[in-house]
Amino acid sequence: MSIRVVVSWSVSMFVLAGTLTAWAQVPGQTPPSALVNPRDEEALEAAREASPRTGQETFAYFSDEVDEALASAIERVWDPLRPRPLSLRTAWGDPDLSGYWLNVAYTPLERPDALADQPLYTIEEAIEEFQRRVLADASVDPATVHYDWTEFGMDMWQSPIRPNRRTALIVDPPDGKLPALTPEGRARLQTQARLDTLESRSLYERCISGNQGPPGIPFTQQTGEAQIIQTPDHVVLIIQSNSDVRIIPLDGGAHLPENIRPWLGDARGRWEGDTLVVETTNFHEDRKWRGAAGNMHLLERFTRIDEATLLYEATITDPTTWEAPWTIEFPWPKMEPPGLFEFACHEQNYGIINVMRGVQTRAGEYEVGLEQ
Amino acid sequence: MPNRLKAATVAATVLILFASAPRTTLGQTPPDETFPPYTPPRTADGSPDISGIWQSFTTANRNILAHPAEPGEYPELLGAWGAARAGQGIVEGNELPYQPGAAERQRENYENRMVVNVTNDPRRFDTGDPEIQCYRAGVPRANYMPYPFQIFQTPDQILIVYEYKGASRTIYMDSDQAAPVDTWMGWSNGHWEGDTLVVDVSGLNEHTRFDRAGNFHSNALHVVERWTPVSPYHMRYEATIEDPNVFTRPWTMSFILYRQVEEDAQLIEFNCVPFVEELMYGPLGFTSNPDPAPED
Repeated sequence: MSIRVVVSWSVSMFVLAGTLTAWAQVPGQTPPSALVNPRDEEALEAAREASPRTGQETFAYFSDEVDEALASAIERVWDPLRPRPLSLRTAWGDPDLSGYWLNVAYTPLERPDALADQPLYTIEEAIEEFQRRVLADASVDPATVHYDWTEFGMDMWQSPIRPNRRTALIVDPPDGKLPALTPEGRARLQTQARLDTLESRSLYERCISGNQGPPGIPFTQQTGEAQIIQTPDHVVLIIQSNSDVRIIPLDGGAHLPENIRPWLGDARGRWEGDTLVVETTNFHEDRKWRGAAGNMHLLERFTRIDEATLLYEATITDPTTWEAPWTIEFPWPKMEPPGLFEFACHEQNYGIINVMRGVQTRAGEYEVGLEQ
Repeated sequence: MPNRLKAATVAATVLILFASAPRTTLGQTPPDETFPPYTPPRTADGSPDISGIWQSFTTANRNILAHPAEPGEYPELLGAWGAARAGQGIVEGNELPYQPGAAERQRENYENRMVVNVTNDPRRFDTGDPEIQCYRAGVPRANYMPYPFQIFQTPDQILIVYEYKGASRTIYMDSDQAAPVDTWMGWSNGHWEGDTLVVDVSGLNEHTRFDRAGNFHSNALHVVERWTPVSPYHMRYEATIEDPNVFTRPWTMSFILYRQVEEDAQLIEFNCVPFVEELMYGPLGFTSNPDPAPED
């Protein structure tokens, strides 16, 4: 992953949003493709005709890169059943987790129904699935694209992402699905819909946090790069998305008082053999995610499996939301430096203005519809 | 004499003057004799260990120059809560060498420090102190805001995490990598000179300011920081500021950082984004809490 990747993201994304809006305001000018209603086939077709680019051209431009990603897929399949050698050590003797890691996955959080009885792909199936995802990612419909991530080198397949034998991130419960919601969780879920107020929009759109759910669960296909900085008494985890920083003390101190509830929670870490175990509590009550809020207890396990792989496991316990705890597992492949750049999301959050204008326009249209 | 040569000569002269200036003239910080000779502990790789939680106790975030006690922005609402302490400033000589016209811009910045006008383009940066909008503070301001920050050291990177906004910056040790693009916290390359960490900061954008008083810079800002531990609990911070677009010569600031020693000391998240949503987006009608709609 190259420098242009994230620099382009932080600088361009919001600038792009601003530019598109300005363009839309010029009367008589053809609207750019991003403004076409994706459900209007006629408008889509017209936009494709007017577009200076086509999906095939985009794909052809990147075909060498795609071929390379696919050709090396077989060497990179993550197989959870393979043996795990001893981890590397720091100068002071702790397991060495430091470096740049990639926290994104093609693997869905929950196992698709079609694979109900299949927790693991065969190696061949894992590669096939990976290839399907890469090809879908690398093809761009110029009529519907908002941000062409491929152009910025930001599509997942352009990173060290690996094919995975697992068919879901969730490994427990064994069916690969989230446990049933409690009545309280169900009720909370009803109130978490996105509405036309700023406060109901996602933490990511508002630039409050780079992730809507608990940290560590990939929700986006971009900017999941992470860096681990390690000292004898702390581990610091920096996430590219929103430049979120999690400081994890290793001194065994007590958690913060209950009424202090950071958006990123309050983390405490300890070593268990080769594994860094991190317990995070005190999440902000407005970290709303799939019926959960601030009561989540996050237990993470970071294990360096080999030079190029960090195994990430997380168990979320919240009896007010789910009937049982649940656990995910997936590998974080190593990235080459330079890894992370400043993601000044709030400072340049031009996007939220356009998001809010959009949802308010839609809400207005809905009102008109009701009256007719 | 061609202009460029002249400028170089002036710069060289200024540098010589700075180099030969006795330490005691730097700002209001104590001279080195305040502290007995001190050798800091070492990290695993043998570097001076400056890790830990630090904070400045200056009032420079309000004004880096000397300023009297003031009633604050809304005395009719906030009384003594909103009032501000006096401070003697952190700038050597208590004077900023603004170019003609720049001092006027500083006064305008001060007048407009609370004007917030959020747009979806870079015009949003024309108004208001960045701090009131929860923007990253930039360097050097982040180091003297009234919030602690934490230093983490590894052999090839030193990470500083600031409690304010959770902003962070990485200091790349012994690197000659140039800033790939302008950012809020800039690009930092560092090296050790004896027990002093010297950091060259470039690639800073023009949107940050030095304080709430409107003192400002352009994106030609170049900061050289010197971090020197002088006791187990104190660290001297010095910075030389250059900006040929705004100032007539380089100038320096200096102050002391204090280590937090409480047993439970830790940075506690200060994520101010939700605190400014009403201020920034309320006037656009986006928040759920504008004037309540009249009931029928």
